[in-house]
Amino acid sequence: MKNLLVTLSVAVAACALAFALCYRMSDEPALRRAAREGDALAWLRMEFRLSDAQFAAIKKLHDDYGVVCGEHCTAIMAARNRQAPAAELRALEVACVDAMTAHFRQVAALMAPGEGERYLATVLPLVQDHDHSAAPTVRGKL
Amino acid sequence: MNAPDNPDPLSRALADWRVQPPRNPQFRASVQARLAPERRAPSWSGYVRAHSAWVATALAVAVLAGGWTGRARARATLAAESVAMAGHYVRGLDARVMRAQ
Repeated sequence: MKNLLVTLSVAVAACALAFALCYRMSDEPALRRAAREGDALAWLRMEFRLSDAQFAAIKKLHDDYGVVCGEHCTAIMAARNRQAPAAELRALEVACVDAMTAHFRQVAALMAPGEGERYLATVLPLVQDHDHSAAPTVRGKL
Repeated sequence: MNAPDNPDPLSRALADWRVQPPRNPQFRASVQARLAPERRAPSWSGYVRAHSAWVATALAVAVLAGGWTGRARARATLAAESVAMAGHYVRGLDARVMRAQ
């Protein structure tokens, strides 16, 4: 009985060791660090395996789009503040979605083909599925 | 076939011989003492050698289960973080969700 228990203990220890090793081997610390720090561009770089050149080009696109996004944001907020007609607000939101979609397609074009498709498959549904009533109120860190 | 009147002295001696061994009060205890090591559980290494097939199977199953679970857990964690980061990334570029910067 004692030997059986010792054997089972050794098996449990081997199981835990294999778990830890395989967890560590399958983990991507840089990706997790990017997620922990909320660094979306670092996440983008790791997740879609961007080369330095790809990342530099995408970062420039991202920064440039930030200006466009700010303009959309200002227009939408102004329309909301003056309680503009729903149609006008809707038109501004459509323009925002169109600009965002175009930006994402430009970003995807800079990635390796397979990664670009995966990127679009990841981000476009999030644009389309946007639930306006449940939107967060504070812009996240980028 | 009657017995001869004057039997062989050896036969007579054997007929009269009675074995009377001295009683050994420690006999039972000494036998138990000699059996005790055999009754004791074998060492773990001996146990492993005696049950090598099932011990090897148990270890293999444990290592495979642990490895598979660890890999699956790591991937699931990364996938969940990736989904969260994708949402964070898109929201950061979505003017519709911005109210304060």
